[in-house]
Amino acid sequence: MSRFNMDALGEKLLRSFAGNSSRRSFLTKLGAVIVAAPVFPLLPVSRANAAGKDRTPEAKTAFARNAQTKDDKKCDYWRYCAIDGSLCSCCGGGVSSCPAGTEPSPVSWVGTCINPDNNKAYLIAYRDCCGKAGCGQCGCDNTDRETQLYMPQLNNNVIWCFGTSSMEYHCSTAVLVGEAQ
Amino acid sequence: MTNATMKTKRRAFGRLQGLALAGVAGLLAVGSAQAQTTPPAGDPNGLQPEEPYTHKLPAITPHWGFLRGSWENPGTRIWDGDSGKMLGLVQTTRWSDLALDPKKKFIYVAETIWTKINRGTRQDYVAVYDSNTLNLVSEIPLPGRLIIGAMNNNFVISDDGKTGFVYNFSPAASVNVVDLEKRKLASVVELPGCSSMVPVAGVGFSALCSDGTMATVKLGGKTPVITHSAPFFKAAEDPIFDSYVHDRAKGEAVFLTYTGLIRTAKLGAEPVIGEAFSIQAAAGLRPGDTKPLDINWMPGGRQMMALHSKTGMLYVLMHRGEYWTQKEEGEEIWAVNMATRKVVKRVPIKDHAGHIAVTQDDKPLIFLTGGDEGTALVLDAVTFEQKQEIKRGGSGIISLFEGN
Repeated sequence: MSRFNMDALGEKLLRSFAGNSSRRSFLTKLGAVIVAAPVFPLLPVSRANAAGKDRTPEAKTAFARNAQTKDDKKCDYWRYCAIDGSLCSCCGGGVSSCPAGTEPSPVSWVGTCINPDNNKAYLIAYRDCCGKAGCGQCGCDNTDRETQLYMPQLNNNVIWCFGTSSMEYHCSTAVLVGEAQ
Repeated sequence: MTNATMKTKRRAFGRLQGLALAGVAGLLAVGSAQAQTTPPAGDPNGLQPEEPYTHKLPAITPHWGFLRGSWENPGTRIWDGDSGKMLGLVQTTRWSDLALDPKKKFIYVAETIWTKINRGTRQDYVAVYDSNTLNLVSEIPLPGRLIIGAMNNNFVISDDGKTGFVYNFSPAASVNVVDLEKRKLASVVELPGCSSMVPVAGVGFSALCSDGTMATVKLGGKTPVITHSAPFFKAAEDPIFDSYVHDRAKGEAVFLTYTGLIRTAKLGAEPVIGEAFSIQAAAGLRPGDTKPLDINWMPGGRQMMALHSKTGMLYVLMHRGEYWTQKEEGEEIWAVNMATRKVVKRVPIKDHAGHIAVTQDDKPLIFLTGGDEGTALVLDAVTFEQKQEIKRGGSGIISLFEGN
């Protein structure tokens, strides 16, 4: 995996967005966000250094010290450092894929999690799967670097089913976007 | 009236006619049965035929608690904190926020549904319920609103009860200003990077912003005028909890950060932000820190503090943990005297709690939710004696009528 690259990351996110969205009203609204950018921190770029560079236990959060890489159906799986909701991997989907009949949100908020196997930090997009009632399995609520609603892109309570045909929340995935540093 | 509603009404009337015919048939059947058994004029057991009816709520007392149910069972139950009895239920769907009229005449629910449950046409509106009958009085359409589990500062009401502020996120942030007297949307204020409102008497409202400022929106002119305070908190490093509390009587907001810094803001066209103090230091402990492995008492939960206006007592849910445990439910209630800036009492919570609220009368009660299996607790806010333990009482946000 390449080192963190702002352009590549931007392209990756845009490709994903373009592939999933065709709704003019949503784009108009997103445009309003971009226009309103001065008070909106640039993301997810601004999160690249959020986890710091020190990987000693003294510098890791409690979640990062105890995270594992084997079982993505458990809340302590390393990518879930800031997830809130039902794990799609317990609902017929996967860690980065939606269960049958649901639709991935084209936008998401972004966390920064440390992989304990290589001690590197990665940007994780917490994309919701949308269109059905809550899955109700494997509920997790991890809060590393999770902030409040005035920074919605770093808040794990917001339902991110924007631009999907239904905003009903089903479950959450943790899509690996790229290495943070 | 639209064709659709007329059709609906005609259909309903048709059904009613059917029911009426069935009812008459039922009455005839009863009459026939009575004729056969010839019951005594007075039943020896004192049992009398009954007519079903619907209750109204009793007179409102300051000790009512509106407790949101769980994710699976999201209605809001009204409990009498004195008797522990359930009085009624307010219809609150999963994606809704409840707000209580400061004048106590109405109960407002801002919510979002779809015509076909999980799909179809999206509908955003404020439902207006009579606070005596709980009957629906009106619905006020909204252009949209944030979809999120219930939070206590996404729908707030002005002190005079005339204006509601409903947060919208599309994902551009804005606030729907709702005229609750005329029952219609008054305006939409774009408010990028800000959320979690508090009404400001005579001005409009304020909100917290990601640049560490508080925005104040002055309404009443041709266009809203938005001003920002100087930055006073670090939104990513040590955020202020967006479920901060509002003291209507004093026109103040009380803020709390993840590490435990408390400060007030005197609300107004130009809010005056107070100096911060550490809740841990106020209890004689070292202040909270952001460093990993620094285990301390930290504030946490989804509605982690409550303020009793007359006594200036702030009640905060605290747990042991490191930084980034901001949603951890409380193990103790810390009572902070806001005048002396001292923690005057630490009270262990039976089980744990993620939500706390306190009534505003002279004999205040504390409501707590978040315990296992939705058990809610009611405590005396002065002695902390447990008054009620209500099984399946509620799991989420607590709303209370204000004042006596």
